[in-house]
Amino acid sequence: MSSLKRMHYREGRLAFWMLTPTFAVVLAFVLFPVIWNLWLCLKPVSLADLRGDALFHFNLTLDNFWRVFSDPDFGTVLLTSLTYTIGGSLLSILLGLAAALLVCGKFRGRAFLRGLFISPYIAPVVAVTFTWSFILDPQLGVLNRLALDSGLLTRPIPFLSQRWLDLEVLGVGFRIPLALTSVILFEGWRYFPFAFLFILARLQGIPNELYHAASVDGATPFQRFFHITVPQLATVLSTLFLFRFIWTFNKFDDVFLLTRGQAGTKTLPLNVYDYAFGEFNIGASSATAMVLFGVLAIFIFVYFRWGVRIEN
Amino acid sequence: MASLTLKGIGKRFGRVTALSGVDLHVKDGEFCVLLGPSGCGKSTLLNVIAGLESQDEGSVRLDGHSIDRLTPRDRDMAMVFQSYALYPHMTVAKNLGFGLRMRGVPKATIRKKVLTTAGLLGIDDLLNRKPRELSGGQRQRVAMGRALVRRPKLFLLDEPLSNLDARLRANVRLELKQLHKKIETTIVYVTHDQVEAMTLGERVVVMRDGQVRQTGRPETIYSFPVDTFVATFIGSPEMNLYKGVIFKERKRSVFQGRGFFLELGNPRIDRMEGEVEIGVRAEDVKIGKENSTSPSVEVEMISDVGSEKYIHARLGQEHLTLRVPKDASFRTGEIIYITIDSARLHIFEKGRRLVTTNVEEV
Amino acid sequence: MKIEYSIKLRRERLENCIIRFLRITGILFFIIMVAFPFYWMIVSSLRPLEEIVMNPANLGLDIGKIDFKAYYDVLFDHGFLRYISNSIYVSAITVALSLVLATVGGYAVTRLRFRGRAFMSYSILIIYMFPAIVLVIPLYVIFSYMGLRDSIHVLILVYLAQTLPVALYMLMSYFKTLPVEMEHAGLMDGCTRFGVIWRIIIPLSAPALASVALYTFMIAWNEFLFAFMFLDTPDKFTISRGVVQLAGSVHLSKQLVMAASVMVTIPILILFLFFERHLVRGMTAGAMKG
Repeated sequence: MSSLKRMHYREGRLAFWMLTPTFAVVLAFVLFPVIWNLWLCLKPVSLADLRGDALFHFNLTLDNFWRVFSDPDFGTVLLTSLTYTIGGSLLSILLGLAAALLVCGKFRGRAFLRGLFISPYIAPVVAVTFTWSFILDPQLGVLNRLALDSGLLTRPIPFLSQRWLDLEVLGVGFRIPLALTSVILFEGWRYFPFAFLFILARLQGIPNELYHAASVDGATPFQRFFHITVPQLATVLSTLFLFRFIWTFNKFDDVFLLTRGQAGTKTLPLNVYDYAFGEFNIGASSATAMVLFGVLAIFIFVYFRWGVRIEN
Repeated sequence: MASLTLKGIGKRFGRVTALSGVDLHVKDGEFCVLLGPSGCGKSTLLNVIAGLESQDEGSVRLDGHSIDRLTPRDRDMAMVFQSYALYPHMTVAKNLGFGLRMRGVPKATIRKKVLTTAGLLGIDDLLNRKPRELSGGQRQRVAMGRALVRRPKLFLLDEPLSNLDARLRANVRLELKQLHKKIETTIVYVTHDQVEAMTLGERVVVMRDGQVRQTGRPETIYSFPVDTFVATFIGSPEMNLYKGVIFKERKRSVFQGRGFFLELGNPRIDRMEGEVEIGVRAEDVKIGKENSTSPSVEVEMISDVGSEKYIHARLGQEHLTLRVPKDASFRTGEIIYITIDSARLHIFEKGRRLVTTNVEEV
Repeated sequence: MKIEYSIKLRRERLENCIIRFLRITGILFFIIMVAFPFYWMIVSSLRPLEEIVMNPANLGLDIGKIDFKAYYDVLFDHGFLRYISNSIYVSAITVALSLVLATVGGYAVTRLRFRGRAFMSYSILIIYMFPAIVLVIPLYVIFSYMGLRDSIHVLILVYLAQTLPVALYMLMSYFKTLPVEMEHAGLMDGCTRFGVIWRIIIPLSAPALASVALYTFMIAWNEFLFAFMFLDTPDKFTISRGVVQLAGSVHLSKQLVMAASVMVTIPILILFLFFERHLVRGMTAGAMKG
C-alpha cells in the first residue's frame, strides 16, 4: 500500500518539479510586482529612494491617491484615455471586419493579402511608429508635402504635435483633437489585423449550407450579409471589443513613441510613466496604476453585467 | 513467460469505482481473455497490470513477485493498443525496434530481431514505410510486431482487433491463436466481443462494474454461467431468460412464467421452490410433437443466417428464440410444440446460479 | 409572381456588381494603407539625406541614387551591430527557455495527476491579462534597489514571464489532442517520463512548438517598454531600444532612423513570410498581447 501511495506521490512530485520554474518566473515577474505595487502606491516613494531602506519603512498613507485625484489634469487624462481606447478599439475592429469581408472567399492572391494585412501587427512597434511619425512630419513628411504640392493644403498640418485643429465644413466650424485623432488612426492601422484574424476565422467557420439555404429562400447578397453573416459575427465582435478595450487601455508604447503624451494624448499609462520619470514620484505612479486597474475592473464588470453576453 | 497473479485489485477515479476486489491468476503460457461490456473496468485492469495506472488497493505479482513498485519499463511486458498507437514519426522498422533501443540493445541485434519478427508477421516489405502509409490490417500487424519483438514476459492486448473490418478480424483471430501456440507466451487479452473471447481464450474472465463475475474455460462459462449477466452476455443469440416461480404439483416441479408453464422433469431440481429465473439457450430448445406436457409457441419471425435459422416465437407473454437446421421450414403464425431438456436449464435465484448441475471448477 | 422574381433577380445582379466594385476598391485601399508605410520606410532608408530634405514628395525610388550609406552608418557608427547581436541573444534564449519550460510544464498539466491541476490550467491565462505598464514600475523599483536592473538577463526573465503563459496554453491545448495511448506505448517500450516527452511528444508536436517559438521570438524581438526602462548601458541595448536611442539623438537624419527601422523589421517579416501559417496559429491561439 505505501508503495502505491508513493507512486501517486511520485507523479505529483514530478509535476511539481516540472512546473516549478514556470511558476517561479510568473510569481516573480507578474504576481510579485502586482502585490509590490499595492505596497508602493501607499507609500511616499520617490525615484531617489530606490537605494536605501526607505522602500521598506512602514509609513503607509493615502497621499499618493490625493496627489493623483487632485491633479487638475486628471479628468482630461481619463477622458483622453477613454476616447483613445474606445476610438482605437472600434476603429481597429471595423477595419478588421472590412478587411476580413474583403479577403473572405476564394480568389487568387488571397493568401498573399492575408499575409500582407497582418504585417502592421507583427512589425516592431518602434519601426512602425517612427515610420508614421516620419510620414506625418510637418516639414519632411510625405503626406503634408503631397497635400501642399497639390494645393490641398495651404500650410502643413502637424498631425502629432498639435492639440486642436479647427476645421470648417460647409460653414460650420469644428474643433477636433488633432494629435489624439492621429494616434487613434494609428491604433486602427496597427491593430486591425488582430480583429481581422479572428473575424476571418469566424467567417470561414460559417457553414456554406446557411448561405445556400438563404439563396434558395431568395435572399440577395446584402440580405444574406445582414441576416446570416452579421448575426454569426456578433459574438466574436463583442469578444474582440472586450480584448481590444483592455489592451488599448493599457497601451503605452504606441502613444509614447508617437507623441510622448504631448498635445493632448496623455493617457493613463503615459501618466504612470510621467509621475515616475517626470516627477520622480514612484508613489503617485503606482497609485495611477491602481486607478488604471480600477477603471478596467469597472469596464469588465459593466461589460459582463450589462453588455452583450458572450458565449463560452 | 510468466504467471500473473492479481490480488484484491481496487481502483477509483474520484468517486467512480473502476475496479474492486479483482482476483485473478493467469498460468504461465496461458491465453487469458478479459471480457465485458464497455466501461466494465477491463481496460483499467490491463493498465494496472502494465503499470500505466497505479491501483489503490491490492497487488500485482509476476511469477509470485510483487511488481507494484516497478515502472512500466521495468515490468517487461508489451502491449498492443486498440488504436495501435504506432509512432507516426517513425518508420515501421523504427517502431518495431524502439522498445529494444530504449533498453540499450545493440543495433545489429535490433536489426536481426526486427527482421525475424517482421518475417513472422509477413510485414518484411513494409519496414521502411511510415504508419500513415499502411492499411488498417498492416498497422495492426505492426502493433503486434512491436509487442512481439521484445519477447516480453507478458503480452497485454487491448481490443487489438476492434478496428479491423469483420472479415479481416476473423483471419487475424485465427493467426493470433496460431501465433500463441508458436510462441507460448502468457497473454492477457481485453475484448468486449464474446466470439473473440470464446475462440481465443483458454481462460475467460467475465467482468462487470469493475468486478470479476466469472472465470473459467470458455465452454464452462458458456454452459455454467454463474449469474444472469454472464448467462445473457455470453452466447448468440442471447439466452432466453424468464422470471417466474417453481412450485410442486403431484411431486413434479413446474415452472410458471408469464403466461406459460414448463414441466421440470428433473429430480435435481426437485428441491427447489419459489421465485427464480430460468434460462435456456436457443439450441437447447427442441421441436417436439404435440402432447399435453410440451408448451406451444407461435412463430413470429424467422431469421436465416445461412448455416441455420433462428425462430423468434411467442411463449405465453414472453419471447423465445430457438435454433433450427437451415432446411427446416416454418411459417410465421405457425404453432409449434417444443421440448426442453431439463438438464440443460439454467436456474437463477436473485440473479445467481443455483448450483445444482455438475459443479465445475470456477 | 413572374415580375417579382425578375425584380429580385435584377436586385441580385445589381448587388453583385456593387459588391464586386466595393471589393476591388476596398482591397486597393487596404493594400495601399498597409503597404505604404513599409514601402516608405525602405525607400527613405535608401535615399541620400539631401534627397529627403530637398524632395520629400518624391514617391518613386531612383534606382541610380540608391544609397546604402545609412545602413553602414547605423551598423558601424551607431552601434547597431552590437544591438542586433544583443537582440538575437535575448530572443534566442527567451525562445529556448520558453520552449523547454512550456513543454515540460504543459506536459505536467495535461498528463500528470496532481492537486491543483485544474486551478493551474485556468489561472495561466488570467496572469496573462496583467498589463505591462502596471508591472514595469514595481519591477523597475525592486531591480533598481537590488542593483540588477541594467541587465540583459533580467530582461530575458521578464520576457519569459510575458510569453510563458501563452506558450504554456498553446502547448497544453496541443498536447491534449495527442493520444494518451501513444505515451502508454512509449512507457511500455521502456521510456521514462522524460523519454516520452523527448522521443514521442516533442517530435509529434513540431508544428505547435514552431508556433510557440515564433510567437516568443516575435515578442522578445519587438519588445520596447521593458528594454527602454531597464537598460541604461548602450552596450546592453536591444535593437528596439537602439532605434529609440538613435531617433532621440539624430534629429535630422531621418534616413538613419528608417534604416534602423528596416533592420529591426526585416527579421520578423522574413520569419513571417516563411512561417506565416505557424505564426498566425500562434497569434490566434495566444491572442498576442498588443
